[in-house]
Amino acid sequence: MSASKKTMTLNLTDTEMSALEDLCSKKELSKTALLRQALRLYQLVEDRIEKGDKLFFEDKEKKEKAEVMML
Amino acid sequence: MSVSVSNVFLLNAAAGKAEPAELLHAITDKQLADWEAEWAPELLSSLQRLHRTGVARARWPQSRHWDWRRKATALQGMLAYPGFSVVCAGVTQGMMILDVATKRCRILSQGGKNLVYVWFVENAPWNRKELFDPPRYRGVGSILIRAAIELSKDLEFQGRIGLHSLPQANSFYANTCGMTDLGSDPDHQGLRYFEMTPEQAAAFIAKGGKT
Repeated sequence: MSASKKTMTLNLTDTEMSALEDLCSKKELSKTALLRQALRLYQLVEDRIEKGDKLFFEDKEKKEKAEVMML
Repeated sequence: MSVSVSNVFLLNAAAGKAEPAELLHAITDKQLADWEAEWAPELLSSLQRLHRTGVARARWPQSRHWDWRRKATALQGMLAYPGFSVVCAGVTQGMMILDVATKRCRILSQGGKNLVYVWFVENAPWNRKELFDPPRYRGVGSILIRAAIELSKDLEFQGRIGLHSLPQANSFYANTCGMTDLGSDPDHQGLRYFEMTPEQAAAFIAKGGKT
């Protein structure tokens, strides 16, 4: 199933590495799997915003929506 | 870009024997051409047959309005939305588009973990039992669900998949696939939502995805 993959070195600060490891633990994913997932999401969000869409977080209980500003 | 291909088998219902087929990890121009030139005319003549014989519209294929070229074109190049297709005898027999980025598990025991969401999956008209008796090939749906499970494992989602089912497919997902039925989803046109846990995925694979 797997497509051929290329290897890269990633330089992270201690804080970034700590955040990555926390997320990996929470999601039960390896660092590679988590970063691949992040790339998929980032590409998707960028694509939608380039098309003029907006990204919101919604609090279902308070019925409040807050736009996420993408820089 | 090269397309990854796996060898699979479909059951030729008329001959009663397995026939070699290919699972493509993509939806290519060839699939879209097959959809336009082979699926669409066959679907139209099947709908005409149902209409002329007085079959209620509620029993017509519920995916009959799907435009695969529009879907595939809109999602082209998006890592979040991989496509798959099954080819046998030189013709596309089924297609599927997944969402691997935006959906989480709803089964409480899975704790909101990531899953592979089956966004669209469709058999060629001649493989659909509501249109052809017997259908030409059997096993397309199982192969595509198996592909979704394998991708889920490859992404470290442990085989978790989820989907909203068109009513005509509810039995397939509940009984053949062994997925958990989480009921009608008011946010999704009332379609039933089904989810597969890692344990259910392992059970589906163990039985060979047989229908």
